[in-house]
Amino acid sequence: MTDALTLRIDLDSSIPAGRQIVDGLRILLVSGKLSLGSELPSVRRMALDLGVHFNTVADAYRTLADEGWLHLHHGRAARVVCRDVPNPTMDQMDEFGHRLRALVAEMLAKGIPAAKLQDDMRVAAEELES
Amino acid sequence: MKAEVVTLVLHLMFVAVIFQFTPLITRRGIFFSATVDPDFPRSADGRRVLRSYRWQAALWAVLAIGVQLVLPPRHPLTAMLLPMLLMIIGSAFSYWLKFREVHTHYGQRRPEIRQAELSVPPAGERFNAWLWVPPFAALALTAAYLQLHWSQLPERFPVHWGADGQPNRWSSREPLTVFAPVLIGAAMNLFMLGLAWLFSQLSRNTIMRRVTVRLLEVLLYPLTLTFIIVALLPFGLVVPVWLIPAIMLTCVAGLIFWSYRQIVAPALADAVPDPQSDSYWKAGMFYYNPNDPAIFVAKRVGIGYTVNFANKMCWLVLAGILLLGLLPAALGILAGRK
Repeated sequence: MTDALTLRIDLDSSIPAGRQIVDGLRILLVSGKLSLGSELPSVRRMALDLGVHFNTVADAYRTLADEGWLHLHHGRAARVVCRDVPNPTMDQMDEFGHRLRALVAEMLAKGIPAAKLQDDMRVAAEELES
Repeated sequence: MKAEVVTLVLHLMFVAVIFQFTPLITRRGIFFSATVDPDFPRSADGRRVLRSYRWQAALWAVLAIGVQLVLPPRHPLTAMLLPMLLMIIGSAFSYWLKFREVHTHYGQRRPEIRQAELSVPPAGERFNAWLWVPPFAALALTAAYLQLHWSQLPERFPVHWGADGQPNRWSSREPLTVFAPVLIGAAMNLFMLGLAWLFSQLSRNTIMRRVTVRLLEVLLYPLTLTFIIVALLPFGLVVPVWLIPAIMLTCVAGLIFWSYRQIVAPALADAVPDPQSDSYWKAGMFYYNPNDPAIFVAKRVGIGYTVNFANKMCWLVLAGILLLGLLPAALGILAGRK
């Protein structure tokens, strides 16, 4: 039971539940823990277990399908599909750079040292790429 | 004192004992349905609250037994219901007072962390259909045996026994009365199967779901055995009067003990979190959360489920459960009139 792949969300968090679901699943997809051909629980089951509205889970699945991670078919389980890594556009890279700067500024403002930040980013990149 | 009154008083005392222990059958970090520090129930304040509730529950029990002894109403149904209702409502009121006290003065707030298993189907959702086959098959075999040995059945046989163990109602050899125990047994099994299926489909994957579904699955066996014994009694099967209650009591007590160990075991209880804010628990007993799609939610006290009263579907599900539950009762009444 403890080895089963799970997704956890915090309903009290300021981050919306739908965003937490997308982020959590994307981490598992990028890291390969959710492998090609894997099926995800039904929208109803996932919504029940996470205590969120069915539309929240359905929207999260659609977002990941739009990114190319999932294949959705009415009446069937969402399935992880083969996805080509896209070439990011300049606009996308600028947007991520902006978001990263904002996040780094917030972390520095809270007193997290720059060295710790660098280490965390390196570990996260290595974990997700492996 | 009449044997019936003694039986009713014993029933009241049995329920009174359950009320004494009810607050202890709860998950770690929950006390009188309020979220508290896991060590609070063992603290001086925690013990004082429990002691105070137990005194109040005991007083309600004494009052109910007094009503039972002093004012025995003529109608047997009223005689049974009135003292029992008095004790249940009184103890529930005391419980609500303690919930308010604990929540107001010692309550804590924990983040609502929820978890979904991503394997399909999740391990907790697997429905052990094969466990349900033997009881139904045994009832079908009993029905076949009754049919094959129809001529050996006596023209009249007892169908009801009093508290003294002596038969007090008889019935003639007719299909409905002969097959009634098998049919009621099948209807009871169907009721429990329906409950287990509903819990496995409409509740979150927590330790409570696994415990409750397993409880229903295992309880099916002594229940089926009881109905088979009753169905074979007209053949002259001699069974001590205490045997059936002893089988049921032993099994129920064993299952409650096993469930209690599972629910209160810290490692298991914390394995799949399902925290909810106390504000969703009205009077500590009724769950009302419009944002939660779950219809069944694990109770905060005791073993089993309650419904999410904010979900309109719960009324439909409750009506279905009531109809399923009425089926064995209706069969019993029909057979009793023959």
